[in-house]
Amino acid sequence: MSTAKDTAAAEPLLRVRDLTVAFPTAQGPVEVVKSLDFDVARGGALGIVGESGSGKSMTSLAVMGLLPKGAERTGRIEFAGTELTALRERAMRAVRGDRIAMIFQDPLSSLNPYYTVGTQIAEAYRSHRRGVTRRQARAVAIAAMERVRIRDAARRVDHYPHQFSGGMRQRVMIAMMLSMEPELIIADEPTTALDVTVQAQILDLLAEIRADTGAGLVLITHDLAVVSEVTDHIVVMRDGALVEQGSAERIFTDPQEPYTRMLLDAVPRIDDEIGLLRTTEEDR
Amino acid sequence: MSDGRETLLRARHLVKEFASPSGGVFGRTRRFRAVDDVSLEVRTGETLALVGESGSGKSTTARLIARLIDTTSGSIEFDGREVHSLTGKALHAYRGEVQVVFQDPYSSLNPKHTVERIVTAPLLYQRRPIPGGARAFTGALMERVGLNPDHSARFPAQFSGGQAQRIGIARALAVSPKMIIADEAVSALDVSVQAQVINLLRRLQDEEGFSYLFIAHDLAVVRQIATRVAVMNEGRIVETGDRDQVFDAPRDDYTKKLLAAVPRIRPEWDAARRRNEAAREDRERKEAGR
Repeated sequence: MSTAKDTAAAEPLLRVRDLTVAFPTAQGPVEVVKSLDFDVARGGALGIVGESGSGKSMTSLAVMGLLPKGAERTGRIEFAGTELTALRERAMRAVRGDRIAMIFQDPLSSLNPYYTVGTQIAEAYRSHRRGVTRRQARAVAIAAMERVRIRDAARRVDHYPHQFSGGMRQRVMIAMMLSMEPELIIADEPTTALDVTVQAQILDLLAEIRADTGAGLVLITHDLAVVSEVTDHIVVMRDGALVEQGSAERIFTDPQEPYTRMLLDAVPRIDDEIGLLRTTEEDR
Repeated sequence: MSDGRETLLRARHLVKEFASPSGGVFGRTRRFRAVDDVSLEVRTGETLALVGESGSGKSTTARLIARLIDTTSGSIEFDGREVHSLTGKALHAYRGEVQVVFQDPYSSLNPKHTVERIVTAPLLYQRRPIPGGARAFTGALMERVGLNPDHSARFPAQFSGGQAQRIGIARALAVSPKMIIADEAVSALDVSVQAQVINLLRRLQDEEGFSYLFIAHDLAVVRQIATRVAVMNEGRIVETGDRDQVFDAPRDDYTKKLLAAVPRIRPEWDAARRRNEAAREDRERKEAGR
């Protein structure tokens, strides 16, 4: 028998409906995201995949309310029962960082070069937790850095972003995010700029954190092998529109759309040389 | 050679040191060894892939071999000549025989030059005549790399990333090189375009018989194109072998670690997809025959 509690449990963490993003141009509005629908289940991991120009990054910026100036967003974005499109900027800022955290491809662009990483983690924490002293926040920062296995965290906490490697900077971003205990993590190409061994460490770290905290994940990437390992539900995008969506297993074993099949055929497999890679156009 | 192929390029004990930016205290310059005792060979008609992570020294090695930078020590022998000592005309000739295709096609093509000017430039540099005239020559090369020959008067910005990379490949082919150094040549491309360019590179080698020195960090791409693989880490080659040996039975610990870190689409999912697609095609055939 269905109870009210069951219904609540079945409610998705994030429900996006008819999301459209348009930019005005001299020739009229150009839609870069076209009437997109998707859900992120509580504790679920959604992958949004597509090639360049597919609109996948614009989708994540639209959810966060961080679209570039001039962009017009329509549709509904319901996060844990709150309609985000109805929030004023001040309220939206409180949601960002506190309840929804973001990781980008280039952590340097999200870190301030003039402050130590410890200060930045601590201040981010203090801005969302009232009555926390600097000393307490610093302890939280060190603990978060230890948690993401930055060795010698008590010393490294006083270092500046440029003193860290790309992989270590991404750990700093994850540490910052961890101290917020977000309900949803939006990661846009978080490992694209990283070496493959470092990528594996960061993906493992994300999986571990999700297992511990139950946070949902939206992973935006061009890398089909990465989404196949990390996510349980996949949205395939092309030219701003949804191509198809389904469970990861369904998308990879029984894709319905020719574009999805082409993408899967084009991915080089490390375990196999597959004659001629199949592509959209006839190779001469 | 065991497989009957001759050695085209043989690099021995290559070393390249740079002045370290953090050095200089007490007037002493600290040296950073980017390439540390690297020996490798490329055989005629094969693809040697040089793989590694950032900072491994693979691109520096490629630049040493292309003589874009000078070695600190070691020797490079190409087709019987010592590359290090080449000057004047002989160096000119070497630069015709070894061509480089770079990662970013837009930054390696002059934005103010037409395709025709870009593609014929290596011949002019070599002071060679253009067979059949510039227009016809460019058109023929464009067709060979899958571009529309009618677009020879266009500029790089008028082409997509994949098409621009094809222009870079056409330019390399213009002087009929013996070896092409592909430095992350397909890394910046979308996956569907990347597949097309990989297919193109393989087909051109089949037709022409030249060699590739293929510099790449993406091991799945390397599996599609390499004859042999050399793995670099911290300036050194840690393992060299035939492609399938390196991928299927790696000997070095770093190679093992590198291969294990590559994300993979589950083979059983691929197998299920092949079954589903065969069933779908079967169904469609039956429906069509009814």
